[in-house]
Parts: sequence; C-alpha cells; structure tokens
Amino acid sequence: MSSKVLSTSANISSAESVENVILSARNISKSFPGPVIALDRVSLDLYAGEILALLGENGSGKSTFVKILYGIYTPDHGEILMKTGRILERVTINSPADAMSKGILMVSQVPQLISKLTVAENMALTLTSLRIHGVKSLTSIKKILKIISEESEKIGIKIDPNEKVYNLTYTQKQLVEILRAMIVNAKILLLDEALTYLPLLERRKLYQALLKLKEQGGSIVIITHKISEAMEISNRIAVLRAGKIVGVVNTWETTIDQVRVMMFGEERSKQISYVKVQTINPRGEPRIIIRNLHVEDDYGREIVRGVNLTIHAGEVVGIAGISGNGQRELLESIVGLRKIKSGDIYVDNVNVKRSGVKNIRELGVSFIPDRLLEHGISPEESIVENIAACTVRNGINIPWGLIEEISRELINSYQIIAPSTKTPVKYLSGGNILKTIVAREIENAKKALIACNPTRTLDEVSAIYVRRRIREKAVNENLAVLIASEDLDEVLMVSDIIYVMNTGRLYGPLTPEAPCEDIEKLMVM
Amino acid sequence: MRFIVLRRKTIPRYHTWISTAISLILGILVYLFITILVGRSPLEVLVNIARSFISPSIVKDFFVLIAMGCALLISFKAALWNIGGEGQFYIATIPGILLTLFIFNPRHNPAPAPLVILLVALTGTIMGAFWAFIAALFRAYLKIDEVPVTLILNYVAYYILNYLIFGPFKGRYVYGYLRTDEIPEIYRLNVRVHLPMRGDPLQVALQNLTVQLAYYIALLVLAVLIYVFTWWFFKHCRIGLYTKIHGSNPSYLQAVGVSVNHIILLTMTISGALIGLTGSIYLLSELGRIPYEIERQTAGYGYLAILVSWLSLLDLKMIPFSAYIVSALRNAGIALQVAGLGGVEQSLLLIGAILLTYSITRFLVEYEVRFEW
Repeated sequence: MSSKVLSTSANISSAESVENVILSARNISKSFPGPVIALDRVSLDLYAGEILALLGENGSGKSTFVKILYGIYTPDHGEILMKTGRILERVTINSPADAMSKGILMVSQVPQLISKLTVAENMALTLTSLRIHGVKSLTSIKKILKIISEESEKIGIKIDPNEKVYNLTYTQKQLVEILRAMIVNAKILLLDEALTYLPLLERRKLYQALLKLKEQGGSIVIITHKISEAMEISNRIAVLRAGKIVGVVNTWETTIDQVRVMMFGEERSKQISYVKVQTINPRGEPRIIIRNLHVEDDYGREIVRGVNLTIHAGEVVGIAGISGNGQRELLESIVGLRKIKSGDIYVDNVNVKRSGVKNIRELGVSFIPDRLLEHGISPEESIVENIAACTVRNGINIPWGLIEEISRELINSYQIIAPSTKTPVKYLSGGNILKTIVAREIENAKKALIACNPTRTLDEVSAIYVRRRIREKAVNENLAVLIASEDLDEVLMVSDIIYVMNTGRLYGPLTPEAPCEDIEKLMVM
Repeated sequence: MRFIVLRRKTIPRYHTWISTAISLILGILVYLFITILVGRSPLEVLVNIARSFISPSIVKDFFVLIAMGCALLISFKAALWNIGGEGQFYIATIPGILLTLFIFNPRHNPAPAPLVILLVALTGTIMGAFWAFIAALFRAYLKIDEVPVTLILNYVAYYILNYLIFGPFKGRYVYGYLRTDEIPEIYRLNVRVHLPMRGDPLQVALQNLTVQLAYYIALLVLAVLIYVFTWWFFKHCRIGLYTKIHGSNPSYLQAVGVSVNHIILLTMTISGALIGLTGSIYLLSELGRIPYEIERQTAGYGYLAILVSWLSLLDLKMIPFSAYIVSALRNAGIALQVAGLGGVEQSLLLIGAILLTYSITRFLVEYEVRFEW
C-alpha cells in the first residue's frame, strides 16, 4: 500500500514551485557493512524539465543515491515520492525493472547492452519486459524497428537498428542507451559518469538528446567528476560530502571555485593545481618497444592493427581515444594478459611476447587495468591482503609487518577512505577501490607503468594527486609510463608525447601543446 | 506487502557461536517434533541425543573430522569443491597395507617400527595427494569440473581397494573372511590404558574418556598438527593467500602474475595430501586391517567432512565446533538405532533438521528481513 503525501516547501531545496517536483527523496540513509555510512539522511527534490548535476568526492555517496533511485539498493531509512497527477505519492522501487516501469532509467559508464545482439534485439528485451508500445513478445521485431526509427528521428540520433552492438562505437552505445530511455518514455534519466569522458563534439551530440528529453518535461540527474561538465549542462548542482547534502545551488549563480569548496572544503580545494611536473631528465634509453603488434579482442576480431610504439625511460606516453578502439587490448597484451596475434614487444631489450604476466611483472612492469574488478582486486580479501598478493613474490611466509606498513602509507598518501587495512575491499566505494589499485601499482613500479584510465572514477583532488605521482615517478625514478585514457584532459595533463588510438591504429606522435580540436578529430574520424 | 532483505551493517559479536548453538537447539526441537508425529517418545529420543553429545565414544570421529574438515577447508576456500575425501582417505591405506603386511612384515622382514610408521604416513600422504592431483589436472588443463571427477574417483578408489582385498591383499589368517591380515601390533599407534571404570557416573565417564584419548592419541596429534598447519597456511603462507584469492577472483591472480593452474594443482594436492595422511594414520590407529567391501565399512568420513567444512562456514575457528556437532550427531543416530528408536535414517534426519535451522539462522545473522505494508 502506498501512502499519498502532499509535497511541502520544507523539503524543497530551491525556490521553484512545489508543483514542479517530479521526484522527492526524503531522509534517505544507507550504510554498508564495515561499517560504512554511504548516505546520511539525504533529502533532495528533482523538478520536471531540469538537469541536476550531483557532485562529490570519492565515497561521498553519489552512486549509492542514484542506485537507490534505480532500485539496485534499498535504503535503510527514508522514502521516495513520485509525482502522480498533482500529488506526490510514496513509491517503493524494488529493482531496476521496477524503476523502468516507473519511468526511471539509468545509464552508467559501462553500456548495459548485450554485445552479441543487435540494437533492435536489445531494445526488444526492454520493451517486452516493460510491455509498452504494445510489444508483447520478441517476435514483434518489425514493430520495434518502426519505433526505433521514429524515436531516433525525433531526437536526431542515427543508429542502424540491425547493427550488432559489438560493432558500435562507445558513443553509439551510449546513444542507444539514451534512445532506449526516450522509447520507454523515461521521466527521469540517471547518468552515472555516462558522458564524462567522451570528446566534446560527441558529448554535445548527446547533450542535444538530453535537452530534448528535458523539453518534454523529463528530468536528468548527471553524476560527474568534472565540474566543468556540470556547469555546462546542468540547471542546478547538488553536492554530497561524506553522505550528506552540503548544498544545492542554481548553476547560473555559482562558480567552479565555489563548487570545489563545497565538494572538498576550503583546505583540500587549495590542493587543486594543474601545474605539470616538468620533465627534467633528458630522454632515457628505450624501455618498451612495440613492433607491428596485432591483437584480437574477446570476439576474435583484430582490434589492435599494426601498432608501433617506443616508450623511453623517464617519459610518459599518453594514448587518447574513445573507449573500445583497442586501447585496453593493447595494454593487456603488453603486460602478458592477452595473447598476441603477431608482432613483438620488448621490455629492456627482452622480447616478452610469450613471457607471461609473471615474468613481465618481475621485469619491474606495473599495470593499472581497465577491468578493475576483474584484474585489479580480489573483493573478498582485505586491502592489506590485496597489496600482499601483488607485492610479495618470493618466500613461503608473508612479511605481514612490512606489508601492513606499506598499506598504511598508501592509505595515507592516496587518502583512501577505509575503516582499516583489514577491511575487505568489497566494502570500499568504487573510487576508493581504484585508489587502492592505483596506489599499489604506481608505488610498486620499478621500470615501467602501464595504466588504463588511472583516474576514471576519482574526484578532482585525488585525480590530480595520482597524475602528479605518475609524473614524479617517471621524472625522478626514470620510469617509462604508458597511459591510455578516455579523458583527453588527463592525457594532455600527464603526457610528454600523445598518440590517438582509433579503430586499432595509433596516430601520432603529437605534443601536449597540439590543438585539442585536432586530437579530438583524430579520435572520432 | 513488500518483502525486503538487507545485509546487516553490524553483525553481533560471537555471532558464529550463538547462531550455531541456537540452530542446534532448534534443529533438535524440529527433530523431536517429527519423532512425536511418528509416535515415538520425545523424552527417550532426547536422552539418547543428549548422551551422544557427552559420550567419550565420539573422540575418534571428532579427531578424524577435524583433520579432514581442515583438509577440505583448504580446497573449499579456493572454490575447488573436493568431494573426493572418501577416495583420497581410502586410497592412502594401500601403501600402508603394502608396507606393514608385505614389505616390512615382522615375520620375514622386520624393520624399525618408527621408520615403517613414518613411511606409511609419507606414502599415504603422497597417495592422497596423487588422487586429488588427478582431479586437479582435469580441472586446470581440461576445464572439467572437479566435483564429478573427485566423486567418480571415490568409486575408483573403492573398487581398487576391493580388488586388492579380493586378490593380492587377501589375508592368510582371516578365518574365511574377505579382508586383509591384521597389521602387526608393533606398527599400531594405539596406547592401551586400563582403568578400573568404577566410581560415580562422572568418574566412569572421565576414565572412559581417558581410555579413548589414549587409544586414539595418534589421531589427536594428527588433528592438532593439521589444524595448526591450516591456520599457518591461511594466516602466513603466500600460497594460502593465493588459495583464498582463487576462491574470490582468479583473474586477479592471473593479473598479478600467479599461475592459476599451479594454484589449482597445489591447493587440491595439499588438500588430498592431508586427507591421505589422515587415512594412513587411521589405518594404523583404528582400522588395523581392510575388509571387503570397503564402501560398506566406511564411516563416510569424506562426506561427513564436507558437512563439517560447510557447517563452519569455511571459518577455521569453527572447524572443531562443527566437527564436534557432526560426530555427536553421527553417534546419536547410531545410539537411536541401537535403542530401537529408528533405522539408519535417524542420523540423517537429525543432521538434516539441524542443517536446516543452521542455514536459516546463519542467513538471519547476516541479513535483516523486513516486511513493509
């Protein structure tokens, strides 16, 4: 039974009319074992026809909040009200399917599509489960094709509905997700870092689609670590810190610096500096040499096509590119995690083509993987155990005293929020899991660091610290660093030399001073 | 109505002990309820169950189940489901029989007893390890699930033993029975203590316990050694950490440069080796000879140890406790049979009832269930 409650001004965090509230979250609290308090009595209203940016540092509770709205988590306390007619009605959201049936859709950084199916087949799955547009079975494919073509025309998205999803670019996949939201008549769209790392041109295409949804009276919640993105697209900005709302402001009334202070506090926001650690050493000897490398993806298609690359000691080489263009496979093959079809890889003049991960790591190569939960951690084990597994390579006994000390140092220097070194990694937030991996790999690196999106889910302060540490390690310890990142700003900030990876090929070299537009053109050509 | 299941943020202190004790009591109550339904005296049943929990006769099973529960814990922690404890246990007795009755039989080729005992333990360990290693090879290199393989290997072990007892191992001094000869006394590991068995019931019970402990002293030492080894393995040993990680995320092992296949082979081999060691010591301590058909003679330790390991929720601290419960329940089942209160199904029913309540209480310890209207 649901109770009907009239919205009161006490719950409204803006001057806008109560009438416009489309969803109201009241006193939402959520804790996880550990104990980790993710949300502490969070109240937030969402208005029809607005874009709300939800900002906060790692572990502040942003993702937990939208996951509650999407039915992935159940709140410990609090209630969610949704507009039905002219009144706000208390609702329970039991699952993502339940959320979708109420008009709430979420698009995350990783597209939630089945790669082996076509766009239309993916759409059919959603439509049949929701039983909307009269689609009752998967055989109504003609009807689905018609719906897709009508809706995509309305919002100006061009997608071939018969294309297999694995053939789509990352941007196209995200477009399909947004199109799906339109087709199911989503009233509320939750974007969890979904657009953040797309090139500006691609991102703006998606913004157009979002604006259409907004014009139709829909509401959009955007989670992003990039304040500039929030400033560009949103109407209001809500900031979470340590699970509490610290402020909700109209975007046009605030500045980036004010938002930073809200997110990190006065003290920490002063740490934000984009001054690059300069290369002082002359270029060292070639540390990693890649010759005519060809690698296949998980579907047996050639995804890396004849890559040649040399990374010198003391140098940071950045690879820009949209996700899905072969960066991940290239990096995995360098560290021995993926079979090489043909070509050669040398580390310190040793051909490591068939050496395996163990030997490559023993040569002093560290790796920050793209698939963090798969290759980066063991979730059931504690932070200290995860660090030991990667650090201790010889001997029967683990020197726990030493590993404890290392772990504490990493936790302090990288500001990992965790109750203790003994906390199982599964209880950490996504950002803190990434920090644990990044800290371990950067500080373990002896000769080279291979990193894929090393700051992807990190807040601004943490991301700046990580980038600075990477450059310091390269400059001071003569490390050869290869970074592939979807975040062009990161590539520009951290690299000495830049390449662009597109459809498995490397384009470049370019310097960080190269015009941004030129690099973006190479990314999307 | 809405039915919500939430993971508890804080789990009560001593939850493992409390939940086990509660589920034990509830399980026995469920069992009693069923006995009432079939028209038996609940009091009589209860007395028999209670006696089993304080009976000195459970010490043998208790020690064996601690040792084997720990051995299985090692593979289970790696998410390697070694169901082949039975096979590894009994296949390990083959070299023991060969060494004590044929190669170093005191009648024609005497050898120093400690040396022979050591050899029996060593070869038994190797044999158990080898038996588990076969399943590990299938799992690691052919990606064949270890559950059916270890299970099938139990039967292969039974049949090999039966063949040997029927043929080459058939005893000469067995009065027509199909079994091996008795292992010579000098190779046996029992200490026989004779006590008067007089006094009040408590004194008699204590004397009985002393006799049992002395008789199974080798199994006691074995259980302690294997328990300490398992503790060290998970707490301090690098391979132990890899084993745990294999159970959680093998891809991480691969990414840090540890061969997943080697960990599968090592973990299963260690698990089998410890079971093999237990089998060889059990041969010298309890069995003394092997009868035909072996599968009808066994106490099912390989399967009971799975229960012990699961009941502990793969928590080493809980292994002695769950071994105690399982051995007491097994003996309770036998006691109920002897008292004419049911057949062999009594132990199964009792264990089943306790497992049911245990599963429910364990779930409720970790999760909170809410109903919202």
